[in-house]
Amino acid sequence: MSSHAAPAPGTVTALQAALAAEHAAVYGYGVVGAYLSGSEQATATTDWVAHQVARDRLEAMLRSAGGSQPTAAAVAYQLPMPVRNAREAAALAVVLEDRVATAYLGLVALSSTAIREYGAQQVQASALRAATWRGSTVAFPGLTSAALAAPRRPHS
Amino acid sequence: MLAAAAMLPLAAVSGCDGVDVLAAPPSPARDVTVLREAITAEQLLITWYTAVLRDARNAGSSAGLTAVLEPLLAEHRQHLSQLKSRLVIPAGSAASPSPTRRAATPAEPGAGSAGVAFLRDAEQAAAAAMMDRLRSAPGSLAQLYASISASEATHVPVLDAAAAGTTSRVTG
Repeated sequence: MSSHAAPAPGTVTALQAALAAEHAAVYGYGVVGAYLSGSEQATATTDWVAHQVARDRLEAMLRSAGGSQPTAAAVAYQLPMPVRNAREAAALAVVLEDRVATAYLGLVALSSTAIREYGAQQVQASALRAATWRGSTVAFPGLTSAALAAPRRPHS
Repeated sequence: MLAAAAMLPLAAVSGCDGVDVLAAPPSPARDVTVLREAITAEQLLITWYTAVLRDARNAGSSAGLTAVLEPLLAEHRQHLSQLKSRLVIPAGSAASPSPTRRAATPAEPGAGSAGVAFLRDAEQAAAAAMMDRLRSAPGSLAQLYASISASEATHVPVLDAAAAGTTSRVTG
């Protein structure tokens, strides 16, 4: 994207949503790692760093998309579930990844091919991490049941 | 000249208003063709998984491999169902997909570890092909392709581990 070109409609909103999900993931993985040890903690650290890298990339994309100001991280986030042990920490990681994947699917719907591809790559990366923490795979990473139940007609 | 004249559509010769009636049906839109390719690809994966599972059962050593492959096969069936639900066939069109490109891979995946390795490569290729399809697809369809691509990418380490006889990071 050129720094002078106005972004296509929806671009900034989708990038900000993905950034917000990454901010939450960076915070959440800090909690996840605190309840793990050994190789699991090392995995959490690797994933935490991956989200930091993705966050920085999104911030750069937003700045180049017409100079938009990236959404700042909150000081703290309310966790979607209680985390008191390693099992619950892994469950939190799954939720974080699922939410990140859903946010990146917002980029996949945009008209820019480059942003679409980046979004899809991030959905894939998130799905791989989620599968690790979940211990199994899923058919539709990032897609909500509502999106699957009522597909829009592509050719009307 | 005679041959060329004989090939003219009847409506053009007669000069009546029947050109639209006699004309060939319009080609399907690009995204319809791509969606049909995606459907064909999923059908092929399901066929291959079914063959490897059948061979494993026939060999009598299927318990471990079945436990690995059946959940992945079930996800492909969900992919296929969802892809088919997105295909809107206009009235008067052929209901069945037109022939589409097939992967340049053998029709039979083989048995045992060779079959698992075949499926692993097929999953990797399928995930990449879905990524290609999303570039020019309508938004909601692109999201479906991206999600399916991600799902298929998660199958690769599961099959890697199955081929190595170990537990994958994903299934661990």
